[in-house]
Amino acid sequence: MMNKTVIGLKLEYFLRALVAVILSFVSLLIPFTSKEAGSKNMISTALSLLSADGAAKISFFLYLAVILTVASLVLGVISYFKTGVKIVKAWMFVQIFATFFWTTLLFAVKIILEEGGIENDFLLKSAGIGFWTGLVTAYCSLVFIMKLAEVNVGYIVLTILGVMWMFPILWILLTALRAEQGYYVGYFFPKHLTLKNFYDLFHNSAVPFGKWWVNTMIVAICGCILNTLIVLGTAFVLSRTRFSGRKPFMNILMIIGMFPGFMSMVALYNILKGLGLNQSIGALIIVGAAGAAMGYHITKGYFDTIPKAIDEAAIIDGASRLQIFTRITIPLSKSIIVYQVLGTFLGAWSDYIFPRLLFGDRQSSYTVAVGLFWMTDFRRIDSYYTQFAAGAVVIALPIVILFIWLQRFYVEGLSGSVKG
Amino acid sequence: MDREYKRRNFITTFTKGDIFSKLSYIFCGLANIRYGQVVKGLLFLLLEVCYFVFLFTTGINLIHNLTTLGEHEQGMAYNEALGIYEMQAGDNSMIILLTGVVAIVVTICFVAIWLFSISSGENARYNHDHGHHINNFFEDVKSLTNENIHFLLLAIPVVGLLIFTFTPLIYMILMAFTNYDNEHQPPGHLFDWVALDNFKTLLLSSDKLSQTFWPVLGWTFIWGIFATFSCYFGGMILAMIINSKGIEFKKFWRTIFVVTMGIPAFISLKVVGTMLGEKGIFNVLIQKWGWTASAVPFLTQANYARVSVILVNFWIGVPVTMLMVSGILMNIPAELYESARIDGANPFVIFRKITFPYMLFVTTPYLIANLIGNFNNFSAIYFLTGGGPMTLDYYKGAGKTDLLVTWLYKLTADTNDYNLAATIGILIFIISATFTLITFQRSGSMKNEEGFQ
Repeated sequence: MMNKTVIGLKLEYFLRALVAVILSFVSLLIPFTSKEAGSKNMISTALSLLSADGAAKISFFLYLAVILTVASLVLGVISYFKTGVKIVKAWMFVQIFATFFWTTLLFAVKIILEEGGIENDFLLKSAGIGFWTGLVTAYCSLVFIMKLAEVNVGYIVLTILGVMWMFPILWILLTALRAEQGYYVGYFFPKHLTLKNFYDLFHNSAVPFGKWWVNTMIVAICGCILNTLIVLGTAFVLSRTRFSGRKPFMNILMIIGMFPGFMSMVALYNILKGLGLNQSIGALIIVGAAGAAMGYHITKGYFDTIPKAIDEAAIIDGASRLQIFTRITIPLSKSIIVYQVLGTFLGAWSDYIFPRLLFGDRQSSYTVAVGLFWMTDFRRIDSYYTQFAAGAVVIALPIVILFIWLQRFYVEGLSGSVKG
Repeated sequence: MDREYKRRNFITTFTKGDIFSKLSYIFCGLANIRYGQVVKGLLFLLLEVCYFVFLFTTGINLIHNLTTLGEHEQGMAYNEALGIYEMQAGDNSMIILLTGVVAIVVTICFVAIWLFSISSGENARYNHDHGHHINNFFEDVKSLTNENIHFLLLAIPVVGLLIFTFTPLIYMILMAFTNYDNEHQPPGHLFDWVALDNFKTLLLSSDKLSQTFWPVLGWTFIWGIFATFSCYFGGMILAMIINSKGIEFKKFWRTIFVVTMGIPAFISLKVVGTMLGEKGIFNVLIQKWGWTASAVPFLTQANYARVSVILVNFWIGVPVTMLMVSGILMNIPAELYESARIDGANPFVIFRKITFPYMLFVTTPYLIANLIGNFNNFSAIYFLTGGGPMTLDYYKGAGKTDLLVTWLYKLTADTNDYNLAATIGILIFIISATFTLITFQRSGSMKNEEGFQ
């Protein structure tokens, strides 16, 4: 049978897949529980769970792991005698579910065994060898069957990573919707869902979140306009024109940029105080715009790639440099402008250190970053944690949507920064 | 003949110039006025007058005070006329230093204007002598939109940088050479110049400060290297999986990971920080799952905390690299892969011999910039652990996961040791500059910026 060829299958993996499935079945027969619980194998564990009175509902994870492992073996044997794309696909799907339930056992086995009255104070590291071989062979079987069916094994990695990446995000979403207040709760899924946290956030006299949100929006919009204009202007001049002092200017900017930014924050604060600008959001906008030119690199790198011949042709036609800037360069730079705007917008929402220093205790000028941080202070975190989560969702949701929508431009900007 | 046509430089303008050129070294703009640029010349003169008025009314005093940084402490002084002790305001070293720096920056600006006025006058003379057209004031203004556009577009950035970046920076750099620490807080206690003492105590002494500095520096390097390379390889592998043949819904997978980028970093870090707490959800769950018997000190025990911050940074950093690498992967010529496959190379060999060398070649500058960025990655550490866990081995305030930047921040915000903070800032600058120099030597794109035009 190994000499056969079937279109859509890589039969050289067949034997390995079959062996893995058989091993997976064998691990059902070797010790599953710990020595203290009598080293029962998985099948007898399942049988005693079935007869137990108070077995947890999630015991069906264990039953399904057993049943699907057996089913996978059966399908494997059938497809040995009657090889075809359809039967292998079915085998793969059964194995996907078998592997899934084996994986859930990693999280559920303690509860299943303890509530089923089989073990007390179970720890994963004391589980029998059958548990570990079962888990490993389940994954091996899945990998070989997927290779056999010519399906990309990357899906397994992506699924596992995807769950890991989504876990904290799911947590913050669920916390925002949680009716039970407080930071220390002993469970992942809330017992009751509510939208009250969002309502409280905007109707709480101690936490003027609405005001903070408006402040941040003003800073973000002004910053987007001013910073983008300044960066575009600086990058244009440094990229498209040549004048004496250009190189020294770029070198000075680079040297200044190598000092850590908030080293000079205290002095900056004193200067703003001298100018009578401290504790106002205007100061935040001005300081942001004043330093914007430092971030010209990526935009300049982008402008460098626009052919010079275009400029030269325009000059022959009598255009001034300013006209070239506004009529030619800017219209050609849509993606880099979006990149800049997006970056500035994002920065306004997440900038914390300087606003914190600038605003001090004047709550009414806080931006959301400072405000949300104020809420997570260790004295307040317990009473505000769910509202903090709601605030985080309120901020993050529009930005995430914006980000996903404009992702393409962001990628172009990013890869523009690393070209050869 | 040739020599006559040669442009004069700063010195020869004076030695060879006529009386107007010579006098314009003292009275700015005189040469411009002589050759018909009256408005321009008068503007130069006005600026000069303004500067000298400033200099003689306050400037000299401010600069002179810099040498002493104040002599009279605030305190009780005996008033002989009234025969009582009364509160005397005293000097404030901090304000003296700041205003002194402002006076110096103003002087630098004037020197720049002075030099510019001389070269402008010389230009006017040159054009006059050779019968070229001399721009009148209106034409000068108009040239701002054309050949002199750099003055127009750079004016606001330069002024902004001078006031809000350059001046504070000079102030802080000077501070590294004073003893402005928590025991010398003006106006109660004045501080003074101490030359290189701060560098000596920080780097060479057997003081607690030096015993804090070196371990913190060491951890900064370890952190920077792990944080950079873990995200680099993680992101590269992730991008290769998503872009590989046979993966459907590429956009969906990419979006899942991109979501973490969209959330402002301080939120995700703070949230993960609370999740990792002793009673946070991670500890609750792993005990519930039977993975450990007791809570794991994710953020409260030095080594656990260090591993935790690297892992959380991985969670945040991988999507960024993934997006960037996705763009580059598509640029690798497909023929390379094709011929490798025909030669029987397996995927691992293809990665090792084609993908990785290509990526490394293209991304070296990015990698080094990223390394510097991670040495200074304030938010990843500060929002997650706050530098903790604290230890008695270190100078007060510093913790086991503190980087140089977070320690610098704590020194200014919590303990008011500004001199130490400034010293550390300068040391960070030296480290960053070294790495940047390496990049410069290795990367073609930085040396040859015309390459793409």
